[in-house]
Parts: sequence; structure tokens; C-alpha cells
Amino acid sequence: MIEEFIRGIKQSRSYKKQIVHLEELPAHKAVWGELEKPLPENLQKVLLNRKIQLYSHQAQAINAARSGKNVVIATPTASGKTLAFNIPVFEALTRDSKATALYIYPAKALTNDQLKVLKELEKESQIKVDPNIYDGDTPQYQRASIRENSRIILTNPYGLHQYLPWHYKWRKFFQNLKFIVMDEAHIYRGVFGSNVAMLIRRLLRICNHYHATPQIILSSATIANPEEHAKRLTGKDFEVISNDGSPRGKKSFVFWNPPFEDSTNTLRRSTHQETKDLLTLSVLQNLQTLCFTTSRQMAELITRWTKTELTAKSKPTNVITAYRAGYLPQERRDIENRLKNKNLIGVVSTNALELGIDIGSLDSVIISGYPGTVISTWQQAGRAGRSNMDSLVMLVAYQNPLDQYFMKHPSDFFGRPHEQAIIGLHNHYITSGHIMCATSELPINEGDKQFFPELLSASIQALEQEKLVKKTPHGWVYSGTARTTEVVSLGNISDKTVTVFCNENLLETLTLNKAYEEAHTGAVLLHQGETYICESLDLNHLVAKVKQENVHYHTEALKDVEVTINKTHEKSNKSTKIGLGELSITETYHTYITKTYDTVIERSTLDLPPLTFSTIGVWFSIPTKLESS
Amino acid sequence: MALFRVAESLRKRVGQSREFKVVSEKGPEPQKPQVFESWIWSSEYEQALKFEKQLLRQYRGKSLEDALPGKIVSNEQGQCYEISSSCCAKFKTVTYEQSRQVMISDLKVLPGIGPANEQLLKNQGYKTVEDLERHPRWKMQAYEYMKLIDKKEVNLAQKWLWQRLPKSHPLLHYLAGFCQNQDFAIVDIETLGLSERPIILLGIAKPTKNHICTTQFLLRDIPDEPSAIYALIAQLDPNLSLITYNGKSFDIPYIKQRLAYYGLDGYIDNTNFDILHFTRRALKPKLTDCKLETVEKYLGIKRDINIPGALVPHFYDTYLRTKNVGPLVPIVEHNRQDLLTLGTLFSKLYEEWA
Repeated sequence: MIEEFIRGIKQSRSYKKQIVHLEELPAHKAVWGELEKPLPENLQKVLLNRKIQLYSHQAQAINAARSGKNVVIATPTASGKTLAFNIPVFEALTRDSKATALYIYPAKALTNDQLKVLKELEKESQIKVDPNIYDGDTPQYQRASIRENSRIILTNPYGLHQYLPWHYKWRKFFQNLKFIVMDEAHIYRGVFGSNVAMLIRRLLRICNHYHATPQIILSSATIANPEEHAKRLTGKDFEVISNDGSPRGKKSFVFWNPPFEDSTNTLRRSTHQETKDLLTLSVLQNLQTLCFTTSRQMAELITRWTKTELTAKSKPTNVITAYRAGYLPQERRDIENRLKNKNLIGVVSTNALELGIDIGSLDSVIISGYPGTVISTWQQAGRAGRSNMDSLVMLVAYQNPLDQYFMKHPSDFFGRPHEQAIIGLHNHYITSGHIMCATSELPINEGDKQFFPELLSASIQALEQEKLVKKTPHGWVYSGTARTTEVVSLGNISDKTVTVFCNENLLETLTLNKAYEEAHTGAVLLHQGETYICESLDLNHLVAKVKQENVHYHTEALKDVEVTINKTHEKSNKSTKIGLGELSITETYHTYITKTYDTVIERSTLDLPPLTFSTIGVWFSIPTKLESS
Repeated sequence: MALFRVAESLRKRVGQSREFKVVSEKGPEPQKPQVFESWIWSSEYEQALKFEKQLLRQYRGKSLEDALPGKIVSNEQGQCYEISSSCCAKFKTVTYEQSRQVMISDLKVLPGIGPANEQLLKNQGYKTVEDLERHPRWKMQAYEYMKLIDKKEVNLAQKWLWQRLPKSHPLLHYLAGFCQNQDFAIVDIETLGLSERPIILLGIAKPTKNHICTTQFLLRDIPDEPSAIYALIAQLDPNLSLITYNGKSFDIPYIKQRLAYYGLDGYIDNTNFDILHFTRRALKPKLTDCKLETVEKYLGIKRDINIPGALVPHFYDTYLRTKNVGPLVPIVEHNRQDLLTLGTLFSKLYEEWA
């Protein structure tokens, strides 16, 4: 089917040699594994009823977890990682009727999916677990009962950050905590990852306070340094499981470079238009396809354009849709289900679907523009390919140098190792901030060096000088007037959320920054491929009002970014001047342009107050000599 | 070096983060406040800051004993500072007989009896729950309920009523008739914020026949906190009924959180008459908000010196940083006045149910 599809493209009259490389990734058979000792009867039955035989990596992971080790499972998408960590957790919950487990997911959307899996497993294993989500959406009146009764609680780092100071309400849960599971652990890298690493140390300190020493299981995409990453993320030693035993069908990986459109061979056809054509073709050939784009707006536009193509060919358009952050949970669930049931043939998504949301596996994946890392590319590519079925991945290049480099040197891409996940434990801003948070959870003592081996004494000393902590007979106590968890945030996430209404109905939510781009007065907001005109954006109440109107144009907001140096901390005056210090970044959205496809048809002025944020940065002054030459 | 810079920037952010909004009187009406006490008028704010400056001048070089006469008290958790006062005040509840009459006249207190059923039963001659002890269907429940009433089981009766009625229902206020004046303790705490920060002052007031005696436990500095909490708990005989303002959601859980923070034992499980609920029911239609200061204006209570409750953390922080005791004076007075007002309000609310 796949071979035929590629042959068809190559033979078509409109084909302009866009396929610059075809890599065939061979199929491999399943490798089975054995457990060292039998599972409890109830879980044996689960596997039997589901006709599951464990793959080698699953068996290894379960064996290691059962021997008391912390385990990191780093195998590709759809290799059955979830089962590999759920089995040892359910075993512990079976053997000890009080035991609890905490599942941490990087995003809310993922917890819903997992909840369903856990509920099924609860039913089949015939033990009482009462798994539940506990996050910002959990109604206040349900919270106490979840903390008291649920033996598996699913949450996300943002929530956990807020809940830790209330640990006494979680006493029962923490006292019996046997496992911490962190899914998609490769997401915890960079600034966010370093923050989460400190958050986990705070969590483990509180567990220790309640005399619990939970085992940790991480699951991750393939990364270059799973063992080091796991250790940095949690401060613990791990056993790595990375030899994938699940079977794979043959995968054809196509590098697709848009053709030149002019005689001088400088300008290539738009990546988006090429993507749209490929998606249309896939849908027409009935290949269930997931198309990844690099922006929310592009996900919507490609959906819309593909629908237009399908209409022109008198084909139904309800078989494709867009998917991205900001949709209401119910909408997302609906799309996920329709995808699983094959009611949808094409879905255009941002990287929101890169993570482990269960949508089953598809025939083909189109990656519109290199996603920036090898890890992401393989994660996205991993969405295609049911066991033993051939699958197709098409990477459509942008015109930028990196994409074009890979188009010219495909072997470089395929020979390239996955990136390392990097976490910095010595970042003063991150570490001190979390140590301050810890002082508001439990007084800090010398013994806490086991949780914060980095910078503890020095941070406390600095915080004391600023009168943010105070030495007491119980240890160092937080004495500031603000909530620590409000002052310290886990990432650069704007906490202001704009709610979009269409005729009094809630349409979606977006961050203030995104609202400036997509929901200003006059903007065309795209939602599930439909166009909505934004009538007003009320910045006081953070509400945007839109009306549905079918238009054939879209808008793009333009901004100026101004960076000012507020304070210089360090500088070096060698040949190139380098500085380090506090910066304010001011973004002013001044204009929006109206476009049909890629043609600008109008420019309009925007009247929005500038957005400002402060940060720490490094700057280089380019020598005037260099500039003039 | 870098760490000191980081701490400095954290300090700055802590200073900028506020849990209340300053609202201009000239601007539009403030949106519905999300949290109780979450905004103050800008004129109040400016006035308070001016007042703080004045206090710092007035109390420069003065000792705590000069500014706020009191004594250092010790317990197993260390020391803290105790300030006592007594004030002539009428505190009265309804009598047991009045209370009993009201509490048995509403048949809806029994599970399964709604307004329609009640009407039906009353028409049949069952005027009170006591009468229902003779009713074939309701006699068991009526008997259980009457047992609580006759034995003056205030705690169990409160739990019973909470299951059947809104927390603001006057019956829950009439329940106080089960207790004598000496059975009450009014409790109010001042903190560095709405959660997760030290408690800086714990106040308790006990009504006698013609007086309300207040005792306040103040932190001279953060290390006094466990001792001050223990000092308050030592005052709370388990048989006392508490009177608080939002204490069910704020003061009591806050104290529990601080005990857990220090890993200390300690338990407060007293019956709690949280009169915020009654106040909202009775006065909300008449007032712009239910801040205690607003309620006082309605009751005709005047404060000599006052700062808005929301500014207490700021004033205490100034004290910690300058060691000048001036800003403590209005905090202690604010808390003392809150205790007294709660006593008055508790008595006055009965007039609202008539």
C-alpha cells in the first residue's frame, strides 16, 4: 500500500522530483521476555484475558521494578511502556491494600487518557484503586475525597508545585506512597526540566518527612542519556531499559523538498502548500495520516486548505480536522476517539499529539518542517506504523538552512544520535527559588542536604540576608509575605489566560501572548478549521468575543521586540564584548496583515498595550568593524 | 555573589506580589472579589502607608514593653509575648429555652421532611419535632434529634444540622443557646498571608458576664511561632465552643497547617460557630461587602486606630526588617478589635433573625 502510494506520486504528471531521499527502515520481529517470578493471580489473569505476552523490554522493566530498583524505560512511541510501569504499580497495590502511587504527566491532556487506562486495569485486576486526576480542573468539593481515597493520583508539575505546601492534607497518601511514575520524562529538560528536577527533590523531602521512600519509574522517548537524565531529574540511581522488543513493520521515510518555482532556482514552493497537497493525496488514497505542523495557526490553515481541495474534488471533508492546545477537553477527547475509530482519516496537529495521547497508530505521518530535534522527529515519526504493517513518514522541508542541510545530507540525519536531555542543577535562579519554596513546606535543616546537595547552605545564607528565611529551633523557616509558589514559577508560562466566547458559548482558551497574535480585534481565529472573526479583546477581563464567519483569508500579527538592559552583572571586554544581566523584553504588536494563502491583501493597525517581561540574559556587542564589513 | 543577586531579585518579587487589590474610589465598582478581604480602597491604602511612617517616627528606639504592655510567656515550644486586656461588653446568646423552642419548631431538620411534608404534618397537629416522637414514621429520627437537644449536645447537633441546612441557617446560630457565656472562646489570627506563611499573632477572647477578656500571643520574631500556637491551644479546652469569622475555612486550617509544618502534634476540634455565614445571610443585602470593618460601620462600632486587615503582613514585615515596634501597635489593636466586634456581632445577629 505504501510502496504503491509512493510509486503513484512519482508517476503522476505533477511530480517535480520532490523526493530527494527514501530511507527504508526494515521490519523487525517481536522479542519476548520472561518474568523472574510469577505475578499475583489477579494480574496474571489480566494478561491472560488480554492475550498479552510481554516483550523483552517490558519484562526487564517489570523485573527491575520488582527488585526494588528505580527504572527508566526509554523505548520508542507505542512500544508498550505504559503496561510496563502499570504492572509493578498494580502489584504493589494488590499486595498492600493501603499502598498509593503518584503519576506525574507533563500536561493535563495526558492525564485524562491515562485515567481511562488505569480504570480499565482496576476493573480487570479486581482491586480497589479509585484512580483520579487531581489538578487545576478538579472541583474543590472533590479534592478531600480524592486525597483520602484514591490510591493512584494523576497530576502535573504545575499542580504539584502548588499542592506541596499543603502536604498535611495529603498525609495518608504520602505515608503510603510506594511509586512515583513520571511519563514522558524527556519533556523535563532545559529550564522547565531543571525546575521539575527541583520540584521532585521537594516532593521526595516531603515523602521522607512522612517516612515514605517511593520507588521511581520514568518513561521517556529515546534520548542519548537516559541514565544521567533520570539521575539528574530525581537525584536517584536508575536501571535503564532501552532495548525495544516490540515488533515493527517496514517504515519508509521520505525526505520531501518543495520544488523551485522560478527559473533562477532560488525560491521554492511553499512548504505549507506542499504539505496540503500531500495530505490531500493521502486522504484520497485512504491512508490514515497525522500531519505535524510547527504552529497552531498552520495546523488550522492546512486543515482548511485541504478541506477546500477535497470539496473541489467533491469528496467529504468531515474526515479531517485540526488538533492543538486550547481546544476544550471534550473536543479533544472527541477527536482522539474519532481517530481511533477511523472516522477521521487526516488530522493536522501541533506537537500536542507528539506526546503519548492514545490515538492508536496510523498509516502515515507528514512532518511539515523539521521540528528542531532528532528526538521530536522520531517521536512524531513513531506515530505511524502498526505492528507488522508498513508505514510512511514524509518530512517536508522548509527553505531554512537546517532543513535544506538535511535534504542534502540525509545520511547525516539517519546516522545522528538522539539529543541529550539537559538539566542544570547549579542554576542559581532555579535552585534558590525552589529552596525558598521548600522552606515554606517544612523548615530546612542540615539534613536536607541529601535532597539539595547543590547550593543549599549558600542559598539559605543569601535568603537570610534578604530576610526571606529565618533561623529557628526547628530549622530555617520562610518568613516572606508572598506565597513562594507564586513567586517561583516552573517555566515561562504566562498565567494570564484569555477566554474566547462565540455567542456566549465558550469556544476555547489561550494565553495572553497567543491572544495578542490570534484573538485581537479584527483577527481571524481558526478553530477546527472554521474561521471566526474577533470582534473584541477585553484586556481587563481577559475575554475575547468572536463571531463565526466563513472568510477566505487569515491574519498575522506583527510585532516589534525591544530589549533593554536594566542592570549589568558581569561583562568581559575582550575583542567581542559580552555582558550578563537583567533585561526587559518589550513586545509591541503594531500591525496585522490579512492574507489569502501566501499573498498579503491588506495591512491594518493594531492598538494593544505592549507586553513586557523581565529576564536574565547574555548579550554580545558586535564590533563596529565587523558590522561595517 | 550570584546567589545574593538571586535572593535580591526574589525579595523584590516577594515585595511586588500582593494578595489584595488596591481599588480606586474614582474608578468603576470593583469586580466581585474572589477571596474574602481581597481588595482595599486606594485612599485606605495610602492612609495606612502614611500611618506606618508616623508610627516608625513615634516609636523609634522604644521597647516592645513600652509600646504594648505585656509579658513574655514560656512553654515547651519556647517563648512568645502575651498581651491581655479586658473590656466592658455585653455578650449574650439566647437562652436554652428560646433555643430549644426554635430548634424543635422546624420539622425540616429531619431527613426526608421537606417544606410540603412539614406543612402536612403541622396540619395533622405535629407542631414540633417533639410531637413527631409519636409519629409512626418519624419517631426514631425525632427521638435521635430530641436526644441531642435535651442533652445539649452542641457539637453533634451542629453536625446534624449541617447535613440538613445551609451553614448560614439561623438555627445553627440559635444552637449557641445550649452554651453559657463561659463556654465560648472567640478566636482570630493574623498571618503573613493567606496561606503557607507564619502566623504572627493569635488572639482569643473569653466573654464573662459583663466583660470580654482578650489574650493575644504575639511573635517577637518568627522563632516564637510554635510557642505562640501552643499558648493558644493551651487556652482551648475541648468543651469550649469557638466563635470565628471565616475560621472554618481560614483560621483553624491555617493553625493546623502550621502545626504540620513544624511537625508538631496539636489538635483543635472544638465546635465552631463561624459567623461569617450568618453575617452574609443577614447583612449582605444591606452592605457592600462583608469585611469586618464594613460590618462595624453598620453596627456603629468605631475604631480609634485601624489598618485594613490586608495590610497586616506588610506592617509586620516592616517591623521584622526595621526592628521598630511601631507597626506592631495597630496590628495588635486591629486583632483585639476584631475579637470584640465578633462578640458584639454574635449577639446582634439574633436581632436580624426576628
